[in-house]
Formats: sequence, C-alpha cells, structure tokens
Amino acid sequence: MIGDPRSLVTAQIELRDVGKRYETVSGPVLAVEQVSLKVRRQEFLTLLGPSGCGKSTLLGMIGGLVAPDAGQVLIDGEPSTGPNPRKVAMVFQDPGLFPWRTALDNVGFGLELQGVGGARRREVALGLLEPMGLRGFERKYPRELSGGMRQRVAIARALALDTPILLMDEPFGALDEQTRLLMGEWLVGIRRRTQKTIVFVTHSLQEAIALSDRIAVMTSRPGRIKDLFEVPLPYPRDLNSPEVTDLRAKLWDQIREESLRAMEGAP
Amino acid sequence: MKVLALRAAVLLGLLGVWEVVAAPLNPILYVAPSAIPGALLRVFRVGELPPLPEHVWLTLREIAAAYALAVSAGLWLGFVLGLQKTLGRIYEPILAALYAIPSVVWYPSLMLFFGLGPASKIAFGLLLGFFPVALSVLAGIRQVDRHLITVAVSMGAGPGAIFLKVALPAMSATLVGGLRAGLALSVVGVLVGEILGSRAGIGYLINYAYGLFMTAEYAGLVVLVGAAVLALDGAAGLLEARVRRWAS
Amino acid sequence: MGKLKIVGCQALSLAALVVGWEAAVRLGLVDPLFVPAPTAVVRALAATAGEALPRLLDTLVKTVIGYGLAVGLGVTAGLVIGSMRTVHQVCIPYVVALYGVPKILILPWIALIFGIGLTTAVLSATLFAVFPIVLLVAGGVRDLDPALLTVATSMGASPWQVYRKVLLPAVLPSALAGMRIGMVFALLGTLLAEMFAGIRGMGFLMQKQAMAFNAAELFAATALVSVLSIAVVVSLEHLNQRLGKWR
Repeated sequence: MIGDPRSLVTAQIELRDVGKRYETVSGPVLAVEQVSLKVRRQEFLTLLGPSGCGKSTLLGMIGGLVAPDAGQVLIDGEPSTGPNPRKVAMVFQDPGLFPWRTALDNVGFGLELQGVGGARRREVALGLLEPMGLRGFERKYPRELSGGMRQRVAIARALALDTPILLMDEPFGALDEQTRLLMGEWLVGIRRRTQKTIVFVTHSLQEAIALSDRIAVMTSRPGRIKDLFEVPLPYPRDLNSPEVTDLRAKLWDQIREESLRAMEGAP
Repeated sequence: MKVLALRAAVLLGLLGVWEVVAAPLNPILYVAPSAIPGALLRVFRVGELPPLPEHVWLTLREIAAAYALAVSAGLWLGFVLGLQKTLGRIYEPILAALYAIPSVVWYPSLMLFFGLGPASKIAFGLLLGFFPVALSVLAGIRQVDRHLITVAVSMGAGPGAIFLKVALPAMSATLVGGLRAGLALSVVGVLVGEILGSRAGIGYLINYAYGLFMTAEYAGLVVLVGAAVLALDGAAGLLEARVRRWAS
Repeated sequence: MGKLKIVGCQALSLAALVVGWEAAVRLGLVDPLFVPAPTAVVRALAATAGEALPRLLDTLVKTVIGYGLAVGLGVTAGLVIGSMRTVHQVCIPYVVALYGVPKILILPWIALIFGIGLTTAVLSATLFAVFPIVLLVAGGVRDLDPALLTVATSMGASPWQVYRKVLLPAVLPSALAGMRIGMVFALLGTLLAEMFAGIRGMGFLMQKQAMAFNAAELFAATALVSVLSIAVVVSLEHLNQRLGKWR
C-alpha cells in the first residue's frame, strides 16, 4: 500500500452530497445536509463542531451504521452498504465493552465474529493490550477497570480488526482532563505505528489541534462543512507555539458562532 | 467467624429452648428435637410407613417433568413476547395480572382435569415454575444495552451473532435468576399437589404420617424435605453466582 | 401503537378466547364434564352466589387478619434486623432459609396444634406473608443512603427524629413493595389452609367442587377468587403509587 505512490493521494473515504433527516415528535430534523468530503489515505481528519451538529451521524454513515437519505459514501471507491469490518473499525464515546467478557475476550470479539481461532485471538489481543499499559489486566472484567483503561480496551478491540480505517466518535469525551491529554499523546503514537486513516469526532479545539492533519469545522443543524483547516505541524505539538495560538483563534472564530446558534437552538 | 459462631449459637439456643419447653407437653402435638433423628431412622427402615425411596423417586421424577415443561414453555413465551414488541405490549400485562393471582386457586381445577395421580402435580409444578421463567426472559430482554448492539453491528455482527454473543449473555444474569426461582416454585408446586391430595410421593408420606398422628416421623420427613429443598436452591444459587460473576 | 389500541387488542383477545371456548364446547371438541362452557360457568356463578359469597367473605376476613399480623410482625422485625449490623448478619440467612422452605410442609403441624378452624387459616396466612415483608423492609433499611443520616445528624436531629423523619420515609417504598407481595401470599396461605384442613371458606369450597366433579361451579368459584385477588392487588398498587410518589 505504501509502495504505491498514488495510494497516498487518492481518497480512501469519499462522501458525495450525503444528507440525513430524522423524524422526531416535533417534526423532521435535518441532521446532515449536502456534505461532500474526501479523506486521504493515512490522514488524521477531525470533525469539529458543537454538540448536536451531526458529527456522529456523519461518522455513523462512514461506518455503515447510518444509511444516508441522499448522496453516497464511498470506501476505497466502492459504495458502502453497511458495516464493513474488514475496512472500517469504530470507537465510541461510551466504550461499550461487553461486561461479561474479560479485557482479553473483549479485544478478541471482532476476530471471533470472523471465525478466527482462540489461540490466534489471544495472541493478537495480548499483543495489543501490552503496549497499552494493560499488562496484568487481561483477565479483568470491565467493571474492574478505570475509565481510561476501559477506553483503551475499546480502542484495542477496534485495532484488533486490523482495518485501514479507524473511526472515533468523541472517544475521550467521558474522561477527565489529564487522562484525556495522555490518551491523545498515546493515540498519536498508535497512529505513527499503524499508519491508519483516522476520522475523529470531537468538540474540543485543543484535542483537534493536538491530533489532526486536517480539521473540518461543522455547522449545527443542519450539519454542513463550514471550513477545512490544514495543520501542517510536526508531532509532538507545542500547544503554546505561535502557529497553534493563531490556528486556535481562527477555529474559535468559526466555531463560536455555531456554538451560540446551537445553544439558542437547544431545547 | 464471629458471625458464624453467633449463627450456630442462635440455632442451638432455639433448639435447646424447644427441647425444654416440649418435654412436658403432649408429644403428639409437640415433638422435641431430640426425637427427630430416631424417627427419621424409623422412616428409613421400612416400618409402619410405606417405603421411602420409591416415593422420593416418584416425587423427583414429577419435579423433573414439571420443571422441564416450565422452562420450555417459559422460554418460548418469554422470547415470543420479548422479541415481538407488539405482542409483548398486548400480552405481558395479562401475564403479570395472572401472576398476581394466588397460584393455589388453579389447583382444584387441575385436580379435576388430571385426577389424583402424578399428572396433576406435574401440571401444577409447570404452572408455578412457568411464570418466573417467562417474566425473567421479558425483563432480561429489556435490560440489553442498545449501545452494545451498535458496537457489535459496527464490527459486522449479524442477527444470529447479536443474539448469541450480545443479547443472551447480557440477559444471562436475569435469566438464570428466573430459572432458579422457577425451579424453587416447580418444587413447591409438586409438593403442594402431593400434600393436598395424592396416593404416592413424598408429600403423600408426609400426609400419611400426619394423618396417623406419627408426629415425630412427620417432623423428620419435613426436616429432610426442607433440607433437600434448601440444598437444591443453594446449588442453584452457586450456579447463578458463577454466571453473574462479571456483574458487581 | 397507542394505549387505547393495546387495551382494545387485549379485550379482543380475551373475547376471542371466551367465544372460541364456548364454540369448542358446543361443537363437542371438549368434554363439558371437564371444561364447561363460559355460559354454563356464568349460570353456575348466579346459582351458587348465595353460597359462594359468604365463603368469599370468610376467606377475606381470615386473610386480612393474617395479613395484618404479618405486616405488624414483618415490619417490626425488618426494622430491627435492618438497623443492627450484627443482628442482620446473624439472622438474614435464617429468614432467607425460612422464606425458601415450602410453607406447605409446616401447615399440617399448625393444623394439628390449632385444629380445623379460623386460627389455623390465619396463622397460615401470616406464615406465608411475613418473610417477604421482613426481607424487603430489612433490605430497605440496609440500602438507606448513609449521607442522609449524616445530613440529619449534622442538623441536630435526635436518634428518634432520625428514625421518624429519615429512616421510616426512606424505607416506605420497599415496605410497600413487601406489603403488596405479602397480600398475595396471605391470600394463598388462607386458601391453602382451607383446602388442606377443610376449613370453611373459598379454598374448601373449591376443593369440594373439584372432588364432586362440579366443573362449572368450580370454574365460577375460581373466577370469583381471581377477581378478588386482582382487585386487592390493584388497589394496593394504587395506594403504593400515592404514598411513594417521590420515587
């Protein structure tokens, strides 16, 4: 994949004019409208926007969990028709670990669905859990793990599928500030090692700037892409450097308006 | 440790008080605890009473049949009503209302249908054991976390895998609790049936001893059956704890 | 699907059941000796009401007395067991065991001592109803949020005030839940004692009719008891909702 120079420039994910409306008690709501976006191979793209702006809906469409009412989702140039565990893995804000499975068996879940044997699953899961600082916790049940550990197990479970694409829906949203920063650093490391294409959803400016190659700012209801920012800075990023400060100010300008609108529109 | 000692002390104290109080009283009405072991031996040795093993064996077979039927019917109806939302909303309240009726009102009718033989006992054990199983399936299905299903779907799980690997384990704790309660009630159903009217079974023996004023033998049989029931429920409890060790 | 539609479907299902049942008897698919037609049951209900209603009252009176005893005993014991740690640890296994043992086993002994009459039936009702009440009340006390006690004590409440103003209201919902279950068990205990020992009341009446193969009269009596118990449970539930509104 890396040997082919074209693979670096072609889009791995393409959204063509996708839209989605939900029926609610108070009438239909346009969650996403006319979004077109290309995500490059091995790119880290962040969808940034206020709560309820359709980021998660968009991510769900890429993951095949949400069927768009309009437009098309292409993965490697082919239209997506549903979850595709050979190409796309997802991580959610709620880790969603199976409480009756140990950390090890949670990580092996996806492979189990694909019919991979027990010995191989163990090997993969141990290989993923160890570098995540979870050595010694393989046999623990989710309730015995801290919030950060649970989310790491959930990420390991997604990585175990060994897909080229990883979708992350506010994966650190429920964690405290310090854990969140550390998890971000750790994700940068994972990304460097695995060379995955990552689409990341967050409402945190800081997180978006620290992690992304590109940031797509979204408008709220209906969700559209308002602007795209390149972040051509090397890792680890100094979050107090003048470039970052400058970018943060620009992003804040964009997002402030949307957040205000979202606040006023909120029930 | 201290708690265990206290528990034993309470039990021994109660037995002691009973022994002292019962000593001067009519032994046909008040059996002293010390008379029970001897009476139990008499029950085992074929004496005035009919042979014990045969009756125990019959009762065990009745319980097994009643419980097997209760589990099959309970699981079937529970899943039908739990997975077909509309059917569930219509018929679950009716099921709950039936459960609020003291079960013993059905027994005379069952006796009329099935006579005094084992069939009426099995039917009553089935009826009693059925409700907790069916209701636990319904409660269990409601407890399945939707998010876990989303996660499984995102990893490519189809309906079969969702049922086997997500729904079933998620509801297992509740389900096993219902199966345990169902077993306890199937046992109760068979025993009630036998004691209210039968020609064989452990309940018949109890009634027989009671009818002949063999109170010590009656008490011995009650202690025996009570201990067996508690041991069975205890074993079911251990199994339940094993299934739900991942929770709390 | 609206609520009205659901109730409609329920009514329709029950009506279909009754009509189907009547048709099955008329067409000779079932033997009316065992399964009398609904119309026959209604006729029997009218014919036997003169005898059945006083028996129903008998059963109800015994149940209410037994239930009252069970509530008094059960709530007191539950509060005592729940509020003292050691007592709780020592006693709860015994209460659970007694709850688990089929009470029918002890019924003959009660009948032997207290004879064939009111006392036996009342005690049977109490025996069946008391253990769930004890367990639920004790559990309610155990589950009490200790922060509530701290708050009350920090505001200068005396132990008695803590008991009256914090403990009792906090335990009320579980006590009411226990009392609702206890009611069904009390009725069960009365009926069972009546059937077993031949004590005047609905239980004995039903047993007699089953023995005499009076299927229609038996079904009518069963329906009467069922309606009574559902009515009692529904009204207790209603009371629960009014008293435990804050939950």
